[in-house]
Amino acid sequence: MTSLSQSPDVTHPPTTDVVYDVRNVTLKFGGVTSLSDVSLHMNRGEILAVIGPNGAGKTSLFNSLTGVYTPQEGSILLAARVGDAQTPVLLDRKFGPFSLERRSRKTHEINHLGVARTFQNIRLFPALTALENVKVGVETRQTSGPISAMLGMPWQRREERESTERAYELLGFVGLTHRANDLAGSLAYGEQRRLEIARALGTEPGVILLDEPAAGTNPAEKRDLADLIRKINVEDNISVLLIEHDMKLVMSIAHRLVVLNFGQKIAEGSPEQIQKNPAVIAAYLGTTDDEDAAAEGGTA
Amino acid sequence: MSADVKTNLKRLLACLGLGVVLALMIGDQEGNQTDFGFAFKAAVFHPRILIFLGIGVLLYLAMTFRPRVAPYLTRAGVRPLAAGTASVVASYGLLNWSDSGNLTNGKLSTLAHGARDTSGISVIGRLFFGSAVPGLYWILFVLAIALAAAAIIVQKSALAWGAAGLSVLAGVWGFVAHEMVRSYLHSPDHSTGAFVALLGYATIASASVTVARTSGSEAATGAFLDRIFGWKPGFPLFVIGTAAALLGTFWASWFSPTDKNTSVFGMSDLFHGYPINGLTSAYLGWLVWVLLVASVVVAGAATWLQHKLLGWASVLVGAVALLISLLSMHNFSRIAADQKFDGAVQAWQNIGTGAWTLCAAFTVLAGAGWMVARKPVDAAADPVSPRPIGSDSLVSPGKSFAFTQAMLVVVLAGALFYPPTATGFWQTVLVTEIGTYVLLAVGLNVVVGWAGLLDLGFIAFYAIGSYTTAYLTDTLPVKPPHWLHLSPLMAIPFAIAICLVAGVALGFPTLRLRGDYLAIVTLGFGEIIRIVAINAKSITNGAQGAFGIPQPVVHLGPLHLKWGQDPLQYWYLLLVFIIVVVMLFRRLENSRLGRAWAAVREDEVAAQATGVNTVRVKLLAFAIGASTSGLAGVFFASQIGYINPDNFVLNNSILVVAYVVFGGMGSLSGAIAGAAVLTWLPEFLKAQVPAEDRQMWIGAVILLMMIFRPAGLLPAKRRAAELSGLDKVYSAETAAVPAGEGM
Repeated sequence: MTSLSQSPDVTHPPTTDVVYDVRNVTLKFGGVTSLSDVSLHMNRGEILAVIGPNGAGKTSLFNSLTGVYTPQEGSILLAARVGDAQTPVLLDRKFGPFSLERRSRKTHEINHLGVARTFQNIRLFPALTALENVKVGVETRQTSGPISAMLGMPWQRREERESTERAYELLGFVGLTHRANDLAGSLAYGEQRRLEIARALGTEPGVILLDEPAAGTNPAEKRDLADLIRKINVEDNISVLLIEHDMKLVMSIAHRLVVLNFGQKIAEGSPEQIQKNPAVIAAYLGTTDDEDAAAEGGTA
Repeated sequence: MSADVKTNLKRLLACLGLGVVLALMIGDQEGNQTDFGFAFKAAVFHPRILIFLGIGVLLYLAMTFRPRVAPYLTRAGVRPLAAGTASVVASYGLLNWSDSGNLTNGKLSTLAHGARDTSGISVIGRLFFGSAVPGLYWILFVLAIALAAAAIIVQKSALAWGAAGLSVLAGVWGFVAHEMVRSYLHSPDHSTGAFVALLGYATIASASVTVARTSGSEAATGAFLDRIFGWKPGFPLFVIGTAAALLGTFWASWFSPTDKNTSVFGMSDLFHGYPINGLTSAYLGWLVWVLLVASVVVAGAATWLQHKLLGWASVLVGAVALLISLLSMHNFSRIAADQKFDGAVQAWQNIGTGAWTLCAAFTVLAGAGWMVARKPVDAAADPVSPRPIGSDSLVSPGKSFAFTQAMLVVVLAGALFYPPTATGFWQTVLVTEIGTYVLLAVGLNVVVGWAGLLDLGFIAFYAIGSYTTAYLTDTLPVKPPHWLHLSPLMAIPFAIAICLVAGVALGFPTLRLRGDYLAIVTLGFGEIIRIVAINAKSITNGAQGAFGIPQPVVHLGPLHLKWGQDPLQYWYLLLVFIIVVVMLFRRLENSRLGRAWAAVREDEVAAQATGVNTVRVKLLAFAIGASTSGLAGVFFASQIGYINPDNFVLNNSILVVAYVVFGGMGSLSGAIAGAAVLTWLPEFLKAQVPAEDRQMWIGAVILLMMIFRPAGLLPAKRRAAELSGLDKVYSAETAAVPAGEGM
């Protein structure tokens, strides 16, 4: 197993600055506990992988971090970009002295704080072109309104041009320039995955959350994907939080891993440490992980 | 019983059932107070049912032998042949060939019956109407179709040339015969039958020529049109414009159709001695010919040589010619009105179709020059330039872009210069039904088509716009402050602002709902507004509504315009509104907000995760749609002069949704076309079917549309992709990349 893993990138050592500080988060749906007292932190500039068997709560964690779900307990602090102050993701609505209701920041607010994500089951805008998909992301950072668009004001035209240029840049970054004017829904599976990443990068994030980016891709595509993730991490200095079942991929690119099982964190550490951790082996690696991964890839 | 026999039996029964339904739909079936089954019995227990059952059997045969026939249906020329056949059948069976009450009720069958025995019409005309062989025109038609069909099946070019010749003969003969009737009657003529027949025969002839000139069995009508229109952008427009110009000068009447029926050649004599100004006298004498030749030559040179500068020159010449024509028309018609000539009381009356056709021709020729002047850089040379997919770009820039542009010019010319030649009835329909609902549909398209929010209370904003106008023009029981008495056009910004607020007020609490739930809430909102309008008597004057809302006036420097009773004036005002709104919305669609709407419609969760503030985006859709509706409301109130809550019932909201869906959700041109067709249809059917059957026919049309063309009349590219599956739309491109080549 160790022979398969490459050493983490030494030219770009992770800083200790904390991006996500998750403390004692518990998320329940009715009687089902999806996350139970999970604490973890993510350092700036690192590639952190969250692994675990199916139903371990990985995607629930992602959804809690991005404001789709509101955990009942715990706190999540976020400082996505360099120099950001820590901002709470979970808010308690106060009415006088009483704490009334817990709510999460809205998903788009969290995105504006510098968090971008992709989805386990690809969620593009299939009837827009690849270019337009990326432009939607880029343009959420722009300011021109509907009236200037209707009147074709010069600043609106400039912004339009800028977003087109930036979108082309990003499409080039993920290697999709030649498909720019094709409808997103008509792209091949691997291309759609990369387009989703380009759209996420368009929002200029400090941290990007990738939910099983390698699901359903072939070995060659996986290698390219690993390179792409490293490139995002090194060149753009973006922290990466990764859910992935493919152990080969995870061990080769992650600086650090967090292992979830039945909603609980059972281990945390470097790839080498995790591979030797008896709890992980019992919960995860002890089972036939290849079949597991194959099954996951097949159903995703 | 084998499965095959079972399927066939089922199909036969279904076809016979359809025949019975048709029998119930077609023809007079008077109801009866005491016998509620009377209509059914009259339709079904009557020998004529056999005809309809025969239609059912034919349909069954057609379906059963479809696999054998199908290869022929894809051959070149089949589609235009079908279109031409439909046009000719419509013109022979449904459309009016004469306005005059002397001879006929206007349809060709009755006209022919009278005309074939009228000695005032020359023998050529009488022959066409069937003096020797009754129904000769039908025989010619069937012959032409049969020849063309035979040519398609056996692929013999001689047959195809024969069909082309015969259809040209039939078309021209019919047109000439119609002209003879018209000059015999000396009557004003707004009938469209002869034109549609001519166009239909022209289509059949071109289909036949296509058959004769193509070998092989593939047909690609779209590609064919692209080639025609993309060959030399603007050239087809030049041809259309030249044809219209010739028609307008050599054929049509220019003035006083009621008793003088003068062509352009007689105009000088007619106005000789009357105090027309120098320009007009020159115009009627020789200037018109100079302008005509100049604009044809310049446009022809520009489109043939594809010279940008010549293109601009053509625009200039066309514009000047149009301006001079309009000035002269105004002058001579005003002089005529002063002289009480031909019953005219004011300018612009009694101008015949010829002058207006010439105006349209100048517009089209200028448009041809404009297409050359604004020709886009060749898209193929620049493969990575962004190609925004507009709502109605079934076409991407390039060749079919030229087709879209050409259509735009033709539609604009038609919208400007066709209405003056229509009858008063159609002018009124154009304003109160077609134009108003087009504006509403364009507004609702933002909400339903682009943002994907089903709004069943859209008419509420129309009501709010109308009542705002009533308030500001001081016709409601509640009075505005004295400094706020406004003319209706000045009320527009207020109405728009109030509708914006109302749109946000409706949207804010309801936008967390989705789909069906949102639809129900908006439906409730529409009803609330109407019921408030009924019950708040002290504010809205209850069920009586507001009376005496003044007509629009404009005092702008030297410009003084006053709208009166003439629907034409309102049509041009409405046209300005529609053009402005459409231009603004086109830009909006390809802007940041337009893409954000599409994103929200496609996948709301992904849009949020990409940083789109979905609440804001949806609110903007509601507000922008609502303000368009408010604008339509202002127009409606000031045009009709009185409003009451009955104008704003739920039915109207649902109709607007139907127009948008029928036209093609998310497509601007689709919304316009959908509203225009579905508001025109009931008025057209008035002359065709019994009044109580009208809704049934409209229902049938919508049903067929949704079965055979679910994406709508002019589908949006984006929506078309969703409905038919993306692979289908882009199969050619995806097939070009081998599997696995993706990475």
